[in-house]
Amino acid sequence: MRKLLGGFTGLVLAALYAPIVVMILFSFNQSKTSVKWTGFTLDWYRMLARDEKIHKDLLNTLKISSASTVLATVLGTMAAMAARSSFRGKRLYTTLVALPVMVPDIVLGMAMFALFQMAGVRLSLGTAVIAHTTFNLAYVAVVVSARLQGLDRSIELAAQDLGASPLSAFWKVTLPAILPGVVSGAVLAFTLSFDDFVITYFTTGPGNGTLPMRIYSMVRFEVTPEINAISTVILAASLVLIAGALRFSRVPVAGGGR
Amino acid sequence: MKGRFLSLFLPPTAWLVVFLVLPTAVLAVSAFSADGLKALGYSGTWLLFGRSFWIAVVSTAVCLAVSYPVAYFIAGCSPRWRNLLLFLVVLPFWTNLLVRTYALKFCLDPIGWSDASAVIFAIVQNFLPFMILPLYSSIEKLPKRLLEASQDLGASPARTFWKVTVPLTMPGIAAGCILVFIPVLGIFALPEFINERTVLIGSQINLYYGQGNAGAGSALTLVLMVFTVALTWVYSRFRKSEGLV
Repeated sequence: MRKLLGGFTGLVLAALYAPIVVMILFSFNQSKTSVKWTGFTLDWYRMLARDEKIHKDLLNTLKISSASTVLATVLGTMAAMAARSSFRGKRLYTTLVALPVMVPDIVLGMAMFALFQMAGVRLSLGTAVIAHTTFNLAYVAVVVSARLQGLDRSIELAAQDLGASPLSAFWKVTLPAILPGVVSGAVLAFTLSFDDFVITYFTTGPGNGTLPMRIYSMVRFEVTPEINAISTVILAASLVLIAGALRFSRVPVAGGGR
Repeated sequence: MKGRFLSLFLPPTAWLVVFLVLPTAVLAVSAFSADGLKALGYSGTWLLFGRSFWIAVVSTAVCLAVSYPVAYFIAGCSPRWRNLLLFLVVLPFWTNLLVRTYALKFCLDPIGWSDASAVIFAIVQNFLPFMILPLYSSIEKLPKRLLEASQDLGASPARTFWKVTVPLTMPGIAAGCILVFIPVLGIFALPEFINERTVLIGSQINLYYGQGNAGAGSALTLVLMVFTVALTWVYSRFRKSEGLV
């Protein structure tokens, strides 16, 4: 029975990884029609290196994800800390904070679009940053909140009893204790933001496309082997990011996938 | 103490009011416009909801059927293997969903597999860890004594599984199903990659958005939102939790 289960697990893992491996292999394939292996080439990577539109997409992606990560990490940590106190309407508050995690991405994207349209705000990188911050805030708050639950509050109170101001108690006691949670939250936020397609699609302005948006339009409208190359590069970038995060702290396993 | 609480409470709350509550309110207003109500009056709209619902149910069921044996196997491994296998399960999900779906499409296209079953296969492939992880954590907590007791009292392995293991891991099953079902219900882009003619609720919202018909797009989005929030609410009633997690 164990053998059967093990074999099945192996099969599932193979189904997860095989397509990715095949795609990486074919990013080095000469053929333009890309179903048959005709020889090794780096042409598609060279094409990528020269493609200025893609460089701009990458820059936009980095701008949106870093700006929203900074904003969301600060706001999300605050939200998680506020949620430790008990107050009236706390249930409503926690539901509100976690709402973007609960609804499908397209709901948040469309709601943001409706707001900007009604307010007459032109879509731009800034509007995308706002939308990303809202959903990242939720993820950061959830991750930091988990870390806070394991924290002994009496240590903070002791610091304050011993004369530390609330602010210095935060910097010297609370923050160091929850830092792994804050960093995990920030890494998760950056990754989600970097990979996001749906919310960006509804909130970024014309001419402000991101890498995932480029992949979407390439797959739908102009399939070339360059997609294999760009996909491989994005994959490699994500892996480097995870490796970095794992070195720093244990990253929560759930996440990604958006 | 109160000042400290307010200084933590106000900034994120202000952000959420302006950029989450307000957009939702605007969405609702826009949904009840003439365009929105017209879209909700089409029988085709409800057919589409039905189809999305059906695809989400089937995907979730397949996901559960595939994930349970995997989670069960991982939970029974030595700690070293356990960590490695969990890492392997989760790793792809830190990478871009469109990239992963494209890679799958790249492999499925040459064999000509692109019907509804291929769309479900792609969804399952992408959402597996959301099912495997909660299942794993509830199977791992399963008290071995109860399984032994059941066997000692003469139950067959199958009976022990259905009468003891499954009921005790129900929290994991429910969590996994919610985590897969909700995002799949509003899924967009992935189905179109596998088959351009797949029209689900997400692609219809996109279509309205592309036509500049914000009213109709908002109406469909609002229905989707109300449904998913209600579902999460029902789920949270069955599960006791404090704070944000």
